[in-house]
Formats: sequence, C-alpha cells, structure tokens
Amino acid sequence: MKINTHSYLSQLGAAVNGKERYSFQENDNWTKELYVHLKLDYPKFHKMDGLSKMALLAVELIAEALPNQEITEEGLHLVFSNAGSSSDFDAKFINSYTELNMPSPSLFVYTLPNIVTGELAIKYKWYGESCFFIQKKFNASFFEEQLKFAFQKGASYCLCAWVEDHPLKTKECFVFLVENSTNLSLTEEVEKIYKQYKNE
Amino acid sequence: MPIGKNNNLGSMRNVYLKYGTLISPIGNGINAHFNAFITNTSGLNWVDSIGFNKENLPLGKISIPENNSLQFMLNSACEALIKEHTSDRLNSPKTCFIISSTKADLSQLPNDTFEPLRTILKAHFPTSNEPIIISNACISGVVALNLAAQYIQSERYDDSFVIGIDAISDFVIYGFQSLFALSDEMCQPFDKTRKGINLGEACGIIHLTSRKEKAFCVEYVSGKTSNDANHISGPSRTGEGLFRAVSNALKEAEISATDIDFISAHGTGTIFNDDMESIAFNRLGMQGIPLNSMKGYFGHTLGAAGVIETLICMLSMEHSMLFKSLGFDEQGTPESLNILSENQEKKCQYVLKTASGFGGGNAVLILKSVR
Repeated sequence: MKINTHSYLSQLGAAVNGKERYSFQENDNWTKELYVHLKLDYPKFHKMDGLSKMALLAVELIAEALPNQEITEEGLHLVFSNAGSSSDFDAKFINSYTELNMPSPSLFVYTLPNIVTGELAIKYKWYGESCFFIQKKFNASFFEEQLKFAFQKGASYCLCAWVEDHPLKTKECFVFLVENSTNLSLTEEVEKIYKQYKNE
Repeated sequence: MPIGKNNNLGSMRNVYLKYGTLISPIGNGINAHFNAFITNTSGLNWVDSIGFNKENLPLGKISIPENNSLQFMLNSACEALIKEHTSDRLNSPKTCFIISSTKADLSQLPNDTFEPLRTILKAHFPTSNEPIIISNACISGVVALNLAAQYIQSERYDDSFVIGIDAISDFVIYGFQSLFALSDEMCQPFDKTRKGINLGEACGIIHLTSRKEKAFCVEYVSGKTSNDANHISGPSRTGEGLFRAVSNALKEAEISATDIDFISAHGTGTIFNDDMESIAFNRLGMQGIPLNSMKGYFGHTLGAAGVIETLICMLSMEHSMLFKSLGFDEQGTPESLNILSENQEKKCQYVLKTASGFGGGNAVLILKSVR
C-alpha cells in the first residue's frame, strides 16, 4: 500500500501534501471561509455538524487525486476515527431539550460519528465499505491494520480520516488516500506526516 | 488489482461463533432468552411518563436498583465471561475485545463517553488488549462481528469477544420522538399498522474463535457493508445499500440468494425502514425466504442490536426453530415478504443477518451450520 495524497485542516489553516493551501482570516467561521474560498456549491454543507464540514472540506482539498467514479463507487473503502465521537452535537442536542425545551431533530441526526461517512457517501456517490472507530488518540498502526483488511476485502483505494470536533480537544481533520500497491508498511510515514501537520 | 476471494481468502482459516452471554429485559443469559423466544414472550413493557411530554411508552428497559444500566449490563456480561473462560484466554495478547455502541455513557459529557466502557473491561481483564470501539449507528453490531471475523481469519487474534451494548436514555428517547420515529404502541415490524420503533437496552457478547472444539458453534461465512449514498436519516427508496451488501456477501460466500434458509432482518417497525427492506429483498429474489424482526422482543437496542439478534439466530440454528416475528399480523410493505407469523421448525444451513441505520449504512453477515 502507498499513500497517494493527504490533507490537513484546523483552525489555523488548510494544507495539502504538506504544503499550506490556505490560512484562515477569521476564527469563528473558518469552515465557511474555506467553503467560500474553494468555491463549493453544496448548500447542504451549512446544515452539517463540524465533523462532516471538516471532512468534506479535507476531501475537497484532495478531490483531484480521487480515482474515477467507476473505481470509487465500491472500490473505495472508508476508515474513519476520532476520540470524541459526536460529542459537540451531543451537547448541542442536549441543550435543545434541557434549555430550549424543544428536542431538535436536525441536531439529533448528527449525534452519531458515522454520519460523516454517510455525508461523504452521499456527496461523492460512494457505496463501498466504511467504518468509524473511536480511539483514545490518533493511532497510525491501527489505521495500517484496517487498511490491510480493506485491501484483503477487495478495496482498490482507501480513504482514511482522523476527524475531531470536541470542545476539549483540537478541532482538526487529517485525511490520507491510500492505494493498494506494494505491501510496505505505512505506519511510520503516516505518523510522521500527522506530526508535521501538527508541528510536533 | 483488487484481491478477491478467489485468489486469496482460500488460504484463510475458518472462524466459529460461540455463545457469549446476553443481558436484556427478557433476562440474564442465553437460556433465559431461548425460553422467552420459544414462547414468544416480549421484553417490552409500558413505562409511565418517560417521553418528552411525559407520555407513557413501551420500552425494553431493564429493571435494576442501580441508576446506570450501562455499567450494570457490562459488569454482568464480563462476570459471565469470567465464569466460562480461563483468565489466560481473556487476558491473552492473542485475544481482542470489540465494543459496538452508539452512545456509550452520555452522563460523562463533556468527557469521553466511551471511557467508562474501557475502564470496566480493564477492571475485569487487567492485562487484555485495549478494546477496539466501533460506533456506526444501528449497524455497529454486524460491522463489529465482521471485523472480529477478519481478525481471526488473518490470524492477528485467535479469540475475539464482540460486545454489543447500548442503554436507554432521555437523549435517545427524545431524539427519536423529535423525528416522529418512536411508536406510542408496542412496535409491529413489517405490519400494515406499524407506527415506529420502541427503544430497548441490552448487552450481548459473541465469542469468535479459530477453534471448533465441542461447545455449540456456527461457522462464519462472509460479511459486507454498503452505504445507500442517499440520505443520512432515511433509508434508500430502492434499498440500494442493503441490496449491494447482500449481493456482495452472497458473492463472497459463493452461494445464491435462495440458498439462504432464514433471514434475521433489521425490521425496526418504521414505515420507511420496513418498506425499504421489502424492496431490497424482492430485488434480491429473497421474498420467499422465512424472515423475522426481533424488535418486538427487545425493541431497538441500537449498537447492541446486531450482536444480540445474531445470538438469537444462533439459537434458531442450534434448535432448528425459527421464531415468530412478534407484532406482525398483516402484510404492510410495498413488496411482500415471507414473515414468520408463528414459530417454525426448520433446519438451517445458511442464515443471513442484516442491519441498516442512520448515516445510510447497511451491514450483513452470513452464517453456516456446523455438522
């Protein structure tokens, strides 16, 4: 397996394959700022939770590298993960019934982390395998283990993501597209790329 | 070049599923559940003023003195495992635990809602591997079983314990009420007058292993997931994801649709879900195969559903007995299905378990009887 391309975004900016692509002007509405900058036309974006918005933007940043629809339809598998699940919208939904006295259906539907993969599947017409894992922290070797399984199951490409939108954690999204080629380990490379993006 | 079954999986070792345990409002342990299913006894009960507007609702709620049913269920389930398995096996580096849950412990917010589950496992199995946690809405349990099977097939682990668990909370009750998806009557999956789901809580464990040994077991054949790529909170009108997941699982199993002897469907009791399943199974040519939904016994147990319903499939295979789809009376889906209106004696060679859920996910697995 081989990393084809990767992107990263946080409140500081957005980068593709290690190179900065955009630096945010505003802190509050930074996902919208990038949406405008990328000239996206997908009104549903504005209703999404933070996880879905970040993942969609991170994928848009690498959209040119995605294989064609014939391959991605079932041959692209998704391996997504974070530590905080959907806790930001969990708290917002709780607020809708404890403070506003009206449980909000539009918040409730985002109180599951795997909605992210669902939103991407809808936008890009991906019907393949997908799974969302809750991990204590970013774990490159765990991604590699899941990648091996995905390629054994017939994937041609795999889109991996670490996406976090939690009040007590760094809001960030790191995606990397992996193709099924020679069977080399990726763990160290993935770890290194992630650390570079985080300036660690 | 994608690696498929024909050139690779042939060398992979067999995987067997064995009973772990099952804790639900029906009772504690596998036998209690067999006794309830054979007599078509539901675990659903009316609970007073539990809805957002203090409505009385049917729920599959465990009655315990403690407040936290999540912790109670997981502790009881772990204790059952300790009785059945050696400490060496449970704590072995070649054993993994996979947890399937949607909401875990919401009382922990803003802290990690899944941490209490890790803590409980660590307390019972101190030197075990860090558990793998899957959160994929209502398909989590089936996805977790499929992943566990891959771990055994690939020889990464020799034993895997898949724990499906979710507890009832105001959060999920109010949430499903806000979507008008919760029924204020006992749920009636696939029936003409169905009004929605009842919520339930449960914890089920299935032991996947490379060793057949002497205890009753069934063989894992194949499993797949597919997304509808259609809507995050409503199923596809054409049953696209379910159709693809079942087609792909049959292909990997190298069997045809009509080789399946019994289908344990998702059957939540909402109009849209059950309609979708009827369309998908008809597209697959599976409309004649006996099918049930177990939501009339447990309610919808979300992240636990795939695991606990697979446990009941194993009971059906062991006892050659298919259980009545509780709550069903009259066909009420656009395409007809062979829904079990009574218990039916039947030897099953192949059984299909399906699940569909929020996020557009569909997951399926195929089991085979071991002679």
